[in-house]
Amino acid sequence: MAGLPLPIAGGASTKVWSATINGKNQQCIIKEHDLLLDVLRDGLGSLGTKRGCDMGTCGCCSILIDGKPRLSCMTLAVEVEGRSITTVEGLSDGHHLHPIQTMFAECGGSQCGFCTPGFLVVSAALLDTNPEPTRQEAEDAIEGNLCRCTGYQQIVDSIMEASKMLTGIGGQQPTTRPASDPNPMFGG
Amino acid sequence: MTDLDDRDDVFEDLEVEPEVPEYKSKVGKKRFKTKAAKTIETEKSEIVGYRQQPGKLDFTRPGSGGSSPLSERRDPKMIPRSQGGELEQPWGPHRHDSLVTGRVIGKRTALIDSKWKVTGQAVYGDDVRLPGEIIGRLVRSDRHYARVLSVDVTEAEAMPGVLATATGLDAPSAFGVLPVTKDEHAMAIEKVRHIGDIIACVAAEDEATARIASQAVRVEYQDLDPIFDMRDGLKDSENPIHDRGVYHIGESNVQKRVFQRFGRISDIEDSVASYERDWTFKGVNHGFTEPHAVVAHWDPRGRLTLYTPQQVPHYVHRALADVLNIPMHQINVHRTYVGGGFGGKSDPFPHEMCAAILARKTGRPVRITFDREEVFWTNRGRHPSRISMAIHADEEGRFSGIETDALIDGGGFASFGHVTTYYNGVLHTAPYEIGAFHYTGARVWTNKPASGAMRGHGAVNSRCAVEVGIDDISEQLGVDPIDLRLANLLPPHSATITGFRVTSIGMRECLERVRKESNWEKKFRKMPLGKGIGVGCGFFISGSGLPIHWDPNKFPHATVHLKIDMDGGVTVHTGAADIGQGSDTVVGQAVAEVLGLPMDMIRIKSKESDTSPVDLGSYSSRVTFMNANAAVSAAMEIRSDLITAASSILDLDESKLVLGDRRIFSKRNPEVGISYLEALHKAQEDRGALVASGSYRTPPMGKMHKGAAAGLAPAYSFSAYVAEVDVDVETGSIKVEKVWAAHDCGKALNPLSVEGQIIGSCHMGLGQVISEEMKYGRTGNLLNPDLLGYKIPTVHEMPEVVPIIVESNDPEGPFGAKEAGEGPLLPILPAVCNAVYDAIGVRTSELPLTPDKLFRSIEKACSKKGISDPRDLPNPKLELKPLSKILKKRAKDHSSRDRKRRLDSSPEAYFNGQLFGQEPSNPPEENDPEWMVQVIPDKEYLENPKLAGSAWLHKERRHRRASE
Repeated sequence: MAGLPLPIAGGASTKVWSATINGKNQQCIIKEHDLLLDVLRDGLGSLGTKRGCDMGTCGCCSILIDGKPRLSCMTLAVEVEGRSITTVEGLSDGHHLHPIQTMFAECGGSQCGFCTPGFLVVSAALLDTNPEPTRQEAEDAIEGNLCRCTGYQQIVDSIMEASKMLTGIGGQQPTTRPASDPNPMFGG
Repeated sequence: MTDLDDRDDVFEDLEVEPEVPEYKSKVGKKRFKTKAAKTIETEKSEIVGYRQQPGKLDFTRPGSGGSSPLSERRDPKMIPRSQGGELEQPWGPHRHDSLVTGRVIGKRTALIDSKWKVTGQAVYGDDVRLPGEIIGRLVRSDRHYARVLSVDVTEAEAMPGVLATATGLDAPSAFGVLPVTKDEHAMAIEKVRHIGDIIACVAAEDEATARIASQAVRVEYQDLDPIFDMRDGLKDSENPIHDRGVYHIGESNVQKRVFQRFGRISDIEDSVASYERDWTFKGVNHGFTEPHAVVAHWDPRGRLTLYTPQQVPHYVHRALADVLNIPMHQINVHRTYVGGGFGGKSDPFPHEMCAAILARKTGRPVRITFDREEVFWTNRGRHPSRISMAIHADEEGRFSGIETDALIDGGGFASFGHVTTYYNGVLHTAPYEIGAFHYTGARVWTNKPASGAMRGHGAVNSRCAVEVGIDDISEQLGVDPIDLRLANLLPPHSATITGFRVTSIGMRECLERVRKESNWEKKFRKMPLGKGIGVGCGFFISGSGLPIHWDPNKFPHATVHLKIDMDGGVTVHTGAADIGQGSDTVVGQAVAEVLGLPMDMIRIKSKESDTSPVDLGSYSSRVTFMNANAAVSAAMEIRSDLITAASSILDLDESKLVLGDRRIFSKRNPEVGISYLEALHKAQEDRGALVASGSYRTPPMGKMHKGAAAGLAPAYSFSAYVAEVDVDVETGSIKVEKVWAAHDCGKALNPLSVEGQIIGSCHMGLGQVISEEMKYGRTGNLLNPDLLGYKIPTVHEMPEVVPIIVESNDPEGPFGAKEAGEGPLLPILPAVCNAVYDAIGVRTSELPLTPDKLFRSIEKACSKKGISDPRDLPNPKLELKPLSKILKKRAKDHSSRDRKRRLDSSPEAYFNGQLFGQEPSNPPEENDPEWMVQVIPDKEYLENPKLAGSAWLHKERRHRRASE
């Protein structure tokens, strides 16, 4: 409520914090009560991780901690000190996108794109443990994420297509064309 | 050595053979011997010289379109029949047929910006980080309705780290999205009108300081009596929430009232079946995932750049100039990526003004980001409404009348309310031919967050009531609801009862497709208790006929600029706001198709008002229709330049040339042609970069009565859905199993996006029908301002949606296209309600259908029938009456009539009313003295008005003064 004082601890002590972000060991100075989401966005500049609802309901801030999906707005940064954190920026390898990223773009899994980073890391984690999920398993994996544009159907399609791509089923190769191709194949 | 020899040398050195002789070997002598090819051969040296001077570009390099001339340039499957292709045109030819190259339009195309989104590089409102950026926080009212006596910011300003504060005194000018109802201020001037209304703002070095400082602002209030029930808004009040001066309606809180009567109202009395019901709809929020955020920055030259996720940047631009009192050219509105809009980011917002004011005071960039709670307090969602719906049908199964009375709850501000009040009425008569239409509507202010525009603006709730009513009528008449609808549709190129000009109409095909695909005949009224199937239709505008700021300007609705320089890439400047629906993609597609280029060569610049032509923004489903039309006309200019250049190089008549994938070539002999780059460079020789501008404006349309412009559109979309549900009679919970969703979008320019819009609309509409509502408590508090309490369907609630695209090839749409963004939302609500009735025999009149509400209805139905166990409820059965056959025959006749009319290039006029014996070629009011067109209530009505109609009991102050 607007008039009630918010619980803001003024004098929290600061500390040096380090973790492996997208494979790279990074350090920054945080306050002990800082949320991981704030550290990622404001401290480390990982702006791909989005803030949607502040209370763990929308899943836009999803990240992977040691490969498992977690909500960074519900996690204190100090809890995950020294752990391995993957954000959406860590899914692609240089120009080469993760199959799930390619398929979200190709199959309409992303419309406005705000919830997309959350869906991407969650689905990437699913495909990591279960490269050939059923539609039901894919739906179960994204149940904690809200999307207002797509109605989820094209998101699940994207996951299924990415699975085909990863496993090579359906003639798809497990590699993708680079997103920003330095040698565009214009063909003619 | 002469120049000519020199050129020949160059030619030999490069060992590039002129293209024509090369074809000779490949395609054989016979085809080579065309007149054009001969000419090229004889003038070989000159042409080659022109193309291969030292320093000129090599036209065989990648991307030029120069090499492999025999590759498949055009997709014959996508080229319409009228142009000699293979694409069937059941709806006749289109004026853009000759522009089709068949490579981009109609193909599933990934959004042009999707790679930014999937890599996390897309910059949304809160992602704009400028050097030296500080944080702004808003001080919000904790009173429902109060006079603000004083605002004391001294304590806040004294805090270390606080850089500036601002109050209402800093920005006294009023603004609002509609010029006729400017009733908002950046910060409260005199009164606060709902909890969460903005009173002041502070800027500080970091967010924590800003939050603490915002709590240190002391506000002294004098409480006023708030109203929360929209019905109270109709009464006189001591302190009306706004004062509209001489235009104020009595002393009430009525913001807008509408009265409309069309047709033979007296004939309603002869009806044999009637549906009358009072509906209650709760307010719904857009629920976009990105909370509002804004960054304002004044550059060293004193210009303001406002970074904001906005659907309608132009209206913000205007409002900023008003509020900040600076000329518009000193402002650059930069639209960031928009994390979902759905109408909720289309007003100019107070927080955008606050950020600009704080940035002006501090000289630093200021960022304001909302918490989710603040998003709900800002709202602008769908209006809570009370709709009294009456539909009547005569013994021939015609809709003899629709009477609607809609009271809508506008909350604290006007927003789009004027338009919404009209849309609640005028958008639910079509696609049906009806005998009479009577609409009374009123929008009132209450002390709640303002309602505004939301996907399906104004049309959703009344459409739900109408379609459920038709379902009920069909049961009374003993006919199939789909048959009843099919026998009462308007034909193509007709006028609705309210005077809207309908061009293409694919309603019949939508209904027939869903009937077939859902296996309707086998399921309707034939499934066991708890399983049901229902149908619903929709109708929506494709672009608003008049721009919001129409008076006094006569600017075009949409403008697109194109620029092509040496590199061959096309820069498209458009002001259309891509909010995730894919407008950038569709504008790019239109350009790519006309110029025969792949999408990689198109780059869209649509973000900044500095570089984009004025565009009215993403509302009323106007972008595809208007901007793609403007893009096509701009691209046609460039296309004609290219063809002229190619024609002069090839010495072929312009009319014989076509464009294909980066090549311009003879239609008959595709081998004879030149590359796109070559033609481009030739075209550029005189004046450098090619630039072109195209615009779109709507044709003159509509009737002349007051309010006739509301709901006018250059085209309308149609949709029909069938939903299958599973209702648990013991708990009242609904599971929607499957939805067959047919939508007539004219032509799917990007089927991937159209399907995405259809499925997404189902999701949003489904939310409103099963779970979503803005809950206000007894004392007017918003109880669920968060995404946990505000229940957006998750993946588990979503049914399987089968999107069915119907293409009716609109004569005025770009390549035949109409809208697909809002219309698809309308039918899902009534389809689910009707399916629930089919499943358990309980009609509802209150949304959302949460389990508790539905269970109460089930209990009521049980006690009425004297059944103790809800599992014994009888579900409805259908006994077809003889009328059914008459309707089937009429539908068949109309179907062939419609087919004739849609293929007729200049069909005779058809005005609503023929079905009722009126002369179709004249407006019925001109033939029939009893056919009413009335927009002011008469005394007789005012003696016994309906709920919203009672708003007309008040007198506007200006009229009162005159009479006193």
